[in-house]
Amino acid sequence: MADLEVRNVTVSYKKQIGIKEASLKANAGEIIGFIGADGSGKSSLMHAIAGVIRFEGEVCYGGVSYHSPKEAEQLKSNIGLMPQGIGLVLYETLTVGEHLSFFANIRNLRQDASFRTYRQKLLHMAGLSDFTDRQAGKLSGGMMQKLSLICSLLHRPKLLILDEPTTGVDPLSRMELWEILDEICKSEGTIALVSTAYMQEAAKMDRVLLFDEGEIIAKDTSKALIDSVKSYTYEQTACENERCFSLDKQTYSLKPLHAPHTEPTLEALFFVNALQKGRTLPHIEIEARESQDEVPQVVMEAKGLTKIFGDFVANDHVSMNLHGGEIVGLLGANGAGKTTFIKMLLGLFPIDEGELYLLGQQIRSGKDRQRLKSKIGYVSQHFALYKDMTVRENLLYFANMHRIAVTTALSRIDRYAKELGFEDYMDYFPHELPLGINQRFSVAAAMLHEPVVLFLDEPTSGVDTIARAQFWQILRGVKKKWGISILITTHYMSEAEYCDRVVLMKEGRKIADDSVKALHAAHPDAKSFEEIFLEYYRSKR
Amino acid sequence: MKLGVIKAYMFKELTELLRTRLIVMVYLMPSMVLMLFGYGIRMDVSHARTLIIDNDQSKYSRVLTSKFEHSRYFDATVAQMSEKEALHRIKQAKTDIIVIIPSSFEKRLLHGQKSEIGVFVDAAFPTRATTMENYVQGVILNTAQEASQNLGMPKGMITLNNRNLFNQAMRDEDAIVPGLIGLVLLVAPAILAALLIVKEKENGTIFNFYASALSKREFLAAKLIPVLLLHSVNIFILFLVATKLFDVPFRGSFTLYWLTSELYILISLSIGMLISVVTKRQIVAVVLTVIITIIPGFLYSGILMPISSMVGESYIEAHMFPVMYYTHILYDTFLIGEGLASAKTQLYLVILVFYALVMLSLGTLFLKKELK
Repeated sequence: MADLEVRNVTVSYKKQIGIKEASLKANAGEIIGFIGADGSGKSSLMHAIAGVIRFEGEVCYGGVSYHSPKEAEQLKSNIGLMPQGIGLVLYETLTVGEHLSFFANIRNLRQDASFRTYRQKLLHMAGLSDFTDRQAGKLSGGMMQKLSLICSLLHRPKLLILDEPTTGVDPLSRMELWEILDEICKSEGTIALVSTAYMQEAAKMDRVLLFDEGEIIAKDTSKALIDSVKSYTYEQTACENERCFSLDKQTYSLKPLHAPHTEPTLEALFFVNALQKGRTLPHIEIEARESQDEVPQVVMEAKGLTKIFGDFVANDHVSMNLHGGEIVGLLGANGAGKTTFIKMLLGLFPIDEGELYLLGQQIRSGKDRQRLKSKIGYVSQHFALYKDMTVRENLLYFANMHRIAVTTALSRIDRYAKELGFEDYMDYFPHELPLGINQRFSVAAAMLHEPVVLFLDEPTSGVDTIARAQFWQILRGVKKKWGISILITTHYMSEAEYCDRVVLMKEGRKIADDSVKALHAAHPDAKSFEEIFLEYYRSKR
Repeated sequence: MKLGVIKAYMFKELTELLRTRLIVMVYLMPSMVLMLFGYGIRMDVSHARTLIIDNDQSKYSRVLTSKFEHSRYFDATVAQMSEKEALHRIKQAKTDIIVIIPSSFEKRLLHGQKSEIGVFVDAAFPTRATTMENYVQGVILNTAQEASQNLGMPKGMITLNNRNLFNQAMRDEDAIVPGLIGLVLLVAPAILAALLIVKEKENGTIFNFYASALSKREFLAAKLIPVLLLHSVNIFILFLVATKLFDVPFRGSFTLYWLTSELYILISLSIGMLISVVTKRQIVAVVLTVIITIIPGFLYSGILMPISSMVGESYIEAHMFPVMYYTHILYDTFLIGEGLASAKTQLYLVILVFYALVMLSLGTLFLKKELK
């Protein structure tokens, strides 16, 4: 018998099923990956196993079986749960050290010498040794996640459940998180169930479970899973039939194509599954814009922009420019100053030092910006949507805000809904929809007034693979048909490759600014852009 | 119950209260409300602006005017103007009362004839108007009595000799401030407690409770004890504000006041906690608590109207909320001092204990250690 056995677990909510009849087995020391679109049931299953939600079926751990949260109570000292959301379980005003004491105390741990060495070890691994006096609210996202992880490791759980611990976390922190996890699982013999949106991470796990619409549709090693879709993956070619999907460099088709096969990645699983289920991915087709605004040669030029919060320099003389019809990726670890920079460009933070030119005009005061507002579109990190209004109402509201005539607004909203593929969701509330749809209509909202430049702050965090692929189709479509410029921040290094140029930031300073191609040429050993990123971050530390 | 675990949670709660500055609300709000309302609510009338039109200008009419002038209830001005002009002034809110003494006042009085004094009162606020009317009547009757004695008429057969018990001076402060304590100690702890659990739900930190071996009772104890301790200080602060600032007498047992107040704070906290358990958003929890506590707190604390004059639904409602029982004991300790010798006080104490137990058990019952 396996150490952890989950048998036919079903979690149902008022309106829908979270996860249906899920079963899995795991042994000590194993790391099991959960992958799937959002809303596919990963979190539901994790909550059921952690005993924090009512479920049907049986979970058996270490010979003890439980069927409800109440029965799971006796095992809770062996279970560690880290729910989804950056710093979700942390208390903003408590310091790192206080968190560790608090978590140790509520677990009723004896704080003897061996505990203290273990605590020091965890702190050291997380790179938080020097920050024990810092309040959690003032940590960067990556540090928060590392702190959450070590807090859930303090009581040496034998069953560790981590729900998207790395979403929204920069590559470096992500790697450090995995180092901690690998080390602990090996030395403590812990079973770890980890859901992730990064397929490179999933590929490293012992076994991978693929979730779709509340069911586990595949479970195997990542290699076997990749092999299973090999026969559907081709080099990019034209689609001949309906059940086919093309995405940069690769084409997935159920019917054989006259094209050479290529080595798929775990991402391919999602596309093939969607095709197998006969799901037609919304067709994305961007039409030319209505107004004929000229996009200037240089859309944005920042010269030595500086932002200081107290004694913390968030942006230290950052200079960069954005040309017409260019997609620039702004990359960097959590807390490197990307969001601060974008907020300064938008005038959400006053500029402490430096010069800013937008669309050829120097920005000196709020008045200068006012005239440019109609030419700038912005999507914030946490899509600023109104929860109590439907998608249609939200869009109409944004149209009103930009003083677009009602008839124009209505026709534009309809057109975008069709073009960006969220036509079917117009009368839903944002919280009823997957993140991917919210993201698309947030972008639509930012485009309603036909801006000449778009600022996007981590629009793809937490969005599933297919939705992300389509999002980039949208961006490229917009760039091509509208000829506008886009500045985007992201933590998916694979997305950097879609950008015309990337700007790398670290600790508030710009450390690289070049095309992806040129960067690859400068780092011939790097296999992926992620490695280039890590190299920059490590070498100049 | 694992004491160490509770202690850790309590320490965390206190640290958070301090660092989020919520502690300011704990100590500022009750005293502030007490002061605002204590100074703000005025039932009795003093210094009513009175315009006296003396059309007689005689000895007796002057006796009457001087009575008004020497009373602290009136700010009297004597003027010569027509009735119409005077009414115009009351309309413009330049005066509250008009007293018109007819021209043949003294003559008719000496002849033993009936004489009519015209009195106009601004009755925009009925209670205030009634009070003013009574005062005016009092002054006039008093003058009339003295006058009739002077004129050698037989002394009135019946005179009133009334004594007001417990609040001899009929001071507003004495009547209102103890009731306000009942209101404040119902609202402030409840709002704080309402935030405690729902805040963790909204932030997601509630997972720490769900995922740990902490029991429901331990969790609730850890949540309630720190705020109970913090609010206990308010019992003394409010006592000082009432007795020193408002000069309310304190005639009963301080121990009774103190212990009942602790019990009452516990009830208030558990009401807030119950709301915190069933709601999902902080804003909903706060609004709900404010509605549930402030309205009955005001209506049934005896500030606005005495419970004994309530009938029907309001009588039943008054008995449903804890505030009535507590304020009864409050008024007793402040103004009367019977204490536990009164059977009613004993009964009310038992009811309060029962109330606390029911609320706490309901909280434990409804609190679920799982996601919804």
